[in-house]
Amino acid sequence: MTDQWHESFARLLVERGVAPGEARRLAADSRDEARAAGLPPAELFGPAAAYAAGIARAARPAPLAALPRARGPVVLRLTGVTKRYRRREVLRGVDLTLRAGEVAAVVGANGSGKSTLLDICAGASKATSGLVERTARIGYAPQQHGTAPYLTADEHFRLFGGAHGMGAKRAVATGTHLAAGLGWRPRAGTVAAQLSGGTRQKLNVVLGELHRPDLILLDEPYQGFDQDSYLDLWSQVYAWRDAGAGVLVVTHLLHDLDRVDHVLELKGAEDR
Amino acid sequence: MLWTIAGTSLRETGRRRAALLLVVALPLAFYAARSDMQGQAIRFLAIGVGWAVATLALFSHVGARHLDRRLAVVGTSPTALLIGRQLALIGMGLALAAGYFGLVALTQDVNRLWAVGLLLGTTVLIAAPLGAVVSLVLPRELEGALALLAVMATQMIADPEGALAKTLPLWSTRELTGYAVDPVGSEYLWDGLAHFAVVALVCAGAAWIAAVVRLRPQALPEPEPEPVVL
Repeated sequence: MTDQWHESFARLLVERGVAPGEARRLAADSRDEARAAGLPPAELFGPAAAYAAGIARAARPAPLAALPRARGPVVLRLTGVTKRYRRREVLRGVDLTLRAGEVAAVVGANGSGKSTLLDICAGASKATSGLVERTARIGYAPQQHGTAPYLTADEHFRLFGGAHGMGAKRAVATGTHLAAGLGWRPRAGTVAAQLSGGTRQKLNVVLGELHRPDLILLDEPYQGFDQDSYLDLWSQVYAWRDAGAGVLVVTHLLHDLDRVDHVLELKGAEDR
Repeated sequence: MLWTIAGTSLRETGRRRAALLLVVALPLAFYAARSDMQGQAIRFLAIGVGWAVATLALFSHVGARHLDRRLAVVGTSPTALLIGRQLALIGMGLALAAGYFGLVALTQDVNRLWAVGLLLGTTVLIAAPLGAVVSLVLPRELEGALALLAVMATQMIADPEGALAKTLPLWSTRELTGYAVDPVGSEYLWDGLAHFAVVALVCAGAAWIAAVVRLRPQALPEPEPEPVVL
């Protein structure tokens, strides 16, 4: 029973992004501590899953080269952006200036045009009027359909790495490192369709930051995340910001907005 | 990038085992249904291969639509995305055609066996871009599959001598089948190849234009540098 707890603990650590060697070392430490205390590990540490979640969070690698925060040049500027679908106006006169080293949150009710605005910023959709200026090197994580159901994580990394001119090995190594930052270690041979919704969303986010872009566009990136992953994501957002990227996050959760630099609230046509 | 997209597309399609089984089974069913009449059996086999490859292309391109849009937004050329996926589909189609060429060689005594290989190959080279055109014009599976059904069913029942049959994409298959099976002159071969060349060119061109129109992101200017305040 005791061995089973330690094995389960090590396996859960690996699943949460801890390197296998490190997970074995942590499991051996917990075994020694339980022995020294003369207690079963479940009694000393609690359930293996909960203990692994806490330890994994502490043991995760630091985000890539976090730098002192500095606001840089403008990476995205929206001036009077309007979008109409036939006679229905989705966006009206949206203005925003986002610099390198800043985070902007786009908030609003369902149907207020948040995803439409992100598509316009990405260049996937055309504004009906107004001006959109943005830097060329972007990362883009759409809300839905951002991954291919029959490809593994490594194949996604190679494909998106190829799009950014990265070699296959470097793309897989970078993707695996970034995934660990979100508490996930991709398994070889597991295709995206077999991943849980939250893990697929982590893959989606990692693909958006694979090449360390100057501007990262995220559309409700936390869907399906558990509490730890949600916190990890915001840590990542601020790490990208501190490393000099501009980050635009579409969200409908309002309790994380005190740390962002800009809040752009969109109102649906019926609220205007 | 082209080969990365082709390799990825090949793996992606290769994992859809049930779909691949049906792709293999469709031409076999057509061939078996007319195996007593050599010319009909080979023509139906080729149309079955074409239908299967076009449907595979349709579903492959429709399934990849959102991912391709995302890749295009971050800098991948729509042309590379189209050609990469087409390379994978043509590769799979030619492998299927090679398998059925072997079956014909084993089960039929054909007048010009090499022409059977030619007509199966040309059918694949038309079907793959044809599926792409349909997927880019009708970007939903059901509508696209119904459009292909309409084209292929009309192809099978239209009078081959009539004007309608000549406007359909696989008329060349019928001409080349006649050349392979019947003791006819080389005009069947050249008419078939000319029709193939025109249709393949039109399908490839239309698929390319549709891919560029649908996938090309908006060209957004870089932000103007702010004036330095002294």
